[in-house]
Amino acid sequence: MNPAAQPLPVQDVQGDARWISQHERFVQECKDAEPDVLFIGDSMIQLMQQHEVWRDLFSPLHALNFGLAGDTTCNVLWRIQNGELQNIQPKVVVLWVGTNNHQHTAEQVSGGVTAITQILISQLPRAKIIVLVLPHTHTQTRTCTLTHTHTLTHTHTHAHSHTLTHAHTHTLTCTHTHSHAHTHALRLSVCCSQGLLPRGEHQNPLREKNAEVNELLRSLVPQLGPAQFLDVSAEFVQSDGSISKHDMFDFLHLTAAGYQTLSKPLHDLLLQTLEETTAAK
Amino acid sequence: MSEDSNPAATPTPCQDIQGDGRWMSLHNRFVSDSKGKEPDVLFVGDSLVQLLHEFEVWRKLFSPLHALNFGVGGDATQHVLWRLTNGELDYISPKVVVLWVGTNNHGNTPEQICGGIMAIINVIHQKLPHAHTLVLGLLPRGKSPNPLRERNASVNALVQAEVASLSHVSYLDMDPGFIHSDGSIAHQDMYDYLHLTPQAYQRVCEPLHKRIKSLLDKHAP
Repeated sequence: MNPAAQPLPVQDVQGDARWISQHERFVQECKDAEPDVLFIGDSMIQLMQQHEVWRDLFSPLHALNFGLAGDTTCNVLWRIQNGELQNIQPKVVVLWVGTNNHQHTAEQVSGGVTAITQILISQLPRAKIIVLVLPHTHTQTRTCTLTHTHTLTHTHTHAHSHTLTHAHTHTLTCTHTHSHAHTHALRLSVCCSQGLLPRGEHQNPLREKNAEVNELLRSLVPQLGPAQFLDVSAEFVQSDGSISKHDMFDFLHLTAAGYQTLSKPLHDLLLQTLEETTAAK
Repeated sequence: MSEDSNPAATPTPCQDIQGDGRWMSLHNRFVSDSKGKEPDVLFVGDSLVQLLHEFEVWRKLFSPLHALNFGVGGDATQHVLWRLTNGELDYISPKVVVLWVGTNNHGNTPEQICGGIMAIINVIHQKLPHAHTLVLGLLPRGKSPNPLRERNASVNALVQAEVASLSHVSYLDMDPGFIHSDGSIAHQDMYDYLHLTPQAYQRVCEPLHKRIKSLLDKHAP
């Protein structure tokens, strides 16, 4: 049983019941609104609504924002099973969650994200899901056309990264047996896109873990059906591996400028997806 | 209340439980940022200070006053106390220090929180004997009436009383009337019933800006 895929509300330990108040407000909004786009997740989604980019790019798309700071996959799971999808038929759902799952492994987190995606798909059969992913580790973009294939069999006991250089042409299919997900940089090939945004000032274990989540979700999400993975993370990491305070004011949360950078490709993708769902009717 | 018996007044760095060292990175950045700057105003505190920097109101009202922002989300009084004792005041001489902290002191009594705020005021005065500290009142929080509102109001009353006799400190109430007649706080003011929306920041910052300006004018020779 995956602990990251167990629905859990947030307990009110501070004493002002803010989490449940926000959830109740979202449930009420479902009764009144007819959104075409639903944004749901943690503070990365919540804070977006406080910046002009929301008013300029996303409000006009009839979007609702159900972001809740601090939420893990468990909390979002609970919310969507307790009223936050009732009475609405959004055409697109933007999901951004996972960076707060501190108690869970990369596989567990990706399992939590896919569980949420599966529920969204089953509750909203006409919707497309866009999954944004987490702040991660890799500073190079690994792009490529698949120029060779090679069969790799590995047994790993812990996450690691390694570089493989191939001298000849063959097809890459990877077969792994491992207890943790791993990431690898292949200099000659393999298409990879990364999703979650980097966090922390420099390389650190959370970035590595989030990168692993991204790796898993990159292949898992499209297999779920009408869902895709959006990666804008390359825009945020500088050549020395650090993140500018002009994009992330506390090495995690985005500034207004950071949201602008994120929102362009997201908005483009939303417009395209909305057009597709309209055309399909 | 002595520092030893008051955890809110004992300088304490934030433990890195998440694993990406962001709190210390921020602290180090504030220290190094301060080394080449000559701010007239320093804002220090928790997320209410930190997020202020991210909205237009900062550029319009506080940048022109040559202000630096050393806010860190989640900080309680003991964290701010540690930061100010460990370098954040060592390279600058602002005329006014704006202090806004206390709402994250969960598990502390109003007396302890007030003690923490007074400890911060004392450190500021030791390191910057010519600066004036402007302490901001804690805002109400939560959608409906709850114990934290009462706690914050008690802290404000205690702090106001303590600083009344000090010439280098003054207190400013920051609540323009966020609580409606039915006891609720609107999400248009606090989107999560704690943090301010840009329009709420506009509302609370007008009087704050006025007060800072008058303090700066008094400070001028």
